[in-house]
Amino acid sequence: MKKPAVPAIQTVTKRIVGRRDSVLARKNIRDSLVSVAGLIGCPVRDNDGRDLGKLVDVVVRHGEETYPAVSGLIVKVGARKSFIDGARISKLTRDEIRLSSTKINLKEYTRRPGESLLDADVIDHQIVDVNGLRVVRSADLYLAPLDREIRLVGVDVSFVSFLRRVFPGTIRRRATPDRVVDWATVASLTDSGGQVRTAGPRSALAQLRPADLADLIEDLVGREQSAFIEMLDPNLAADVLEEMEDDELQGLLRGLPAERAAELLALMEPDESAEVLRDLSDGHRESILSEMTGETANILRQLVAFDEALAGGVMTTHMVICKEDDSVAHALSLLVKHKERDISDGVVIVDNKGKLRDHIQMIELVSAEPLTMLKDLIGPPFPTAVHIDTPIDGVIEEFSNNRGSSIIVVDGTRKPVCRVMADDLIDALVARSAKRGFAQGSSALT
Amino acid sequence: MTETKKAAVKKATKGVKAPAISPRKIRLAALLAVMGPGIIAGLSDDDPAGITTYSQMGAKYGYRLLWVLVLSTLALILFQDLGSRIGVVTRQGLIGLVRQKYGARSGIFSASSLIIANIGTMTAEFAGIAAAGQLFGVSKFLSVPVAGMLVTFLVLRGSFGRVEKVFFLLSAVFLSYILAGFMAHPDWGQAFHGMVVPSMPFTRDAIFIATATLGTTLAPWGLAFIQSYAVDKRLTRDDLKLLRVDVWTGSLLTGIIGFFVIVTCAATLNRQGIFTITDASQAAAALKPLAGTLAKELFAIGLIGAALLAASILPLSTAYSVSDLTGRPAAIDDGFAEAPLFYGTFAAITVIAAGLILLPGAPLVTILLWTQVLNAVLLLPLLCYMFGIARDSRLMGEFRAGKGMQAIYLLIIAMVALCIGSMLWFTFH
Repeated sequence: MKKPAVPAIQTVTKRIVGRRDSVLARKNIRDSLVSVAGLIGCPVRDNDGRDLGKLVDVVVRHGEETYPAVSGLIVKVGARKSFIDGARISKLTRDEIRLSSTKINLKEYTRRPGESLLDADVIDHQIVDVNGLRVVRSADLYLAPLDREIRLVGVDVSFVSFLRRVFPGTIRRRATPDRVVDWATVASLTDSGGQVRTAGPRSALAQLRPADLADLIEDLVGREQSAFIEMLDPNLAADVLEEMEDDELQGLLRGLPAERAAELLALMEPDESAEVLRDLSDGHRESILSEMTGETANILRQLVAFDEALAGGVMTTHMVICKEDDSVAHALSLLVKHKERDISDGVVIVDNKGKLRDHIQMIELVSAEPLTMLKDLIGPPFPTAVHIDTPIDGVIEEFSNNRGSSIIVVDGTRKPVCRVMADDLIDALVARSAKRGFAQGSSALT
Repeated sequence: MTETKKAAVKKATKGVKAPAISPRKIRLAALLAVMGPGIIAGLSDDDPAGITTYSQMGAKYGYRLLWVLVLSTLALILFQDLGSRIGVVTRQGLIGLVRQKYGARSGIFSASSLIIANIGTMTAEFAGIAAAGQLFGVSKFLSVPVAGMLVTFLVLRGSFGRVEKVFFLLSAVFLSYILAGFMAHPDWGQAFHGMVVPSMPFTRDAIFIATATLGTTLAPWGLAFIQSYAVDKRLTRDDLKLLRVDVWTGSLLTGIIGFFVIVTCAATLNRQGIFTITDASQAAAALKPLAGTLAKELFAIGLIGAALLAASILPLSTAYSVSDLTGRPAAIDDGFAEAPLFYGTFAAITVIAAGLILLPGAPLVTILLWTQVLNAVLLLPLLCYMFGIARDSRLMGEFRAGKGMQAIYLLIIAMVALCIGSMLWFTFH
């Protein structure tokens, strides 16, 4: 069968400045789009025009393609719902569907992994519009011939399209693509297994800020939250988790398998992971920790044991420690090696017994000769450090005296064990102000 | 350093034991943090229309129909519990879920009926405020606009936490009914008998009163509200056990308040042969010579508080539902710019209802009658939708209703259908 040539949806979908919805405006595109909501209930006929049954749902198979192809139809024949393979569709218009053969497999349809039923699973469900950064309900879906197949190309999110579906006949079937979001920029989270199969938005999601993604996730339903997280690159997912509200994060972790939760928590800053783990029940925490490597799990166990009202409870173990006899080049190479960690403010220098000597800023390192010994850079101003059991208020006081972006935490023998970052202190203050009421919290900041 | 008390409370709200303070205190702190949806949604069902219905029941039938209130309270407990659970598990409002599970037509039917019924009910709340104000000599042209502005200002300007505190304060006013009840010296033995031994005169009037009691206790807007409010409060599955305590407390309190209104009227109006009253303010006025000025004033104060609480909840319930239907869920903490539809709906419902009360010659009696009919007609499909959602394992997962609970829900739905069918039959014959 000859199918009309349709330009790729990307080329016709354009972002209108000042408006977040992508719009399919051209009339020829509008005419070639078939509304899925309008199609449901349409007669399915054989090549000679004889009625075989009525359309119940459209099945698409999700793969690596941006626009999933229609893999089949569910047709009501008598009292049965039968599956008809997509390859047998010879004509699909907004008024009727014709098949190339009359044979129908009368076996009841059963859901298969990786497939979505467009009416049952996607229409009227929540979707994530990645460009618009919002969670919306889909009012209709549009199919169009593309690359020799009938594919799902767009999601209609307008209220007008939703209202149209209440009416009978041609009004219901007419495509009204006024506010259509390109399927490539949509994350649909509700297929049969609750797994995300959409391929398109992965790259688009990677462009978003973790804080924006965290907001999006917080707007989603529990099962869809975990599906959304599964779709992200693990490093990005870990950043997103760090940005989420405590309660939301607890709920999200409960919905994830322990193995996946362990993977993400291991990628997060240790202090952030410890804070999350501290609030979990003992059993849940252990189930996650047991999925981590021994070293990571031990570090996190130690951090969890610290009281969150003390320096030890908000500290991060990410810190580059060098001996005073090391060279600048060695220090720089260590910083480069651990560049993924938040260690950009320099290295901590210890003496032969491991006691704190100084903290050398990055600018001092890069402006020194590579072969210079670190002990030659030691000099005032010396960094202040806090003991691991210092209450948060004491840490804040030292911090304001120190004026750095982090403060070193030492144990009883003045050996550096970790750092407290400025942002961790701000988090601690925000949590405290939320508990006390804004007025007191804000005064604590001054 | 030992853990600070505040840190311990924070942990307690997340269900984690903190060693520094006693487990009982922790449980109380956690419960207080979850409290709200059940108590607020439950007590707002005791609105002026509800108080009027209870007063009429007490005045006309004495203690005899108290068992209807017991059954209604049980139905309220079970469906408010279900609604709050659906909200927490699916994190969607009822109307949004109806759209998702039952399609566009069901969604639009439910939302539009809810909007019309809520405008009618809101009109009844303002009528209650106007009538109670008049008992204290305040004109309705002052009391209604002031009440309208108060509730709009509260929700528009307040944060979620502040709004909830005001709701709790308003709920405290309901205690006045309990005081008024004791002052009326009811016959407790007869009251107990009426609660546990069902008897029913098969008259049009009795069936109307019984259905109205069921309808005012288990109101569609209350069901939509509790679900959306639980979502807005961002309660999690861990909170479900405590939320159940809140819902049961709220629903039981609703029944207890209703009980005291009925026994107050049974012990005074019914005993003195005053069988017919048209509204709750008339009941309050009639109480004065029988139970004293204080009883009358307590009754009237209760009425104002009840009307204000319901007048805040009704437009909120409508706004949640409209936002849900359109796929743009909104929250009290959102600003106007973020959620114009939410606040627009809130304001529109309030203004239209206030306008209907203040408009000279508006057919109030007809509006109130049709509101009751519409609420009854809407209640049945809403309960069926909730039943369908409760047994949907894809939506509810491990919280899907078991076979036993499904049977109980069906029994209640059948009881409601019977009452509503009888009422509609009597309305149109």
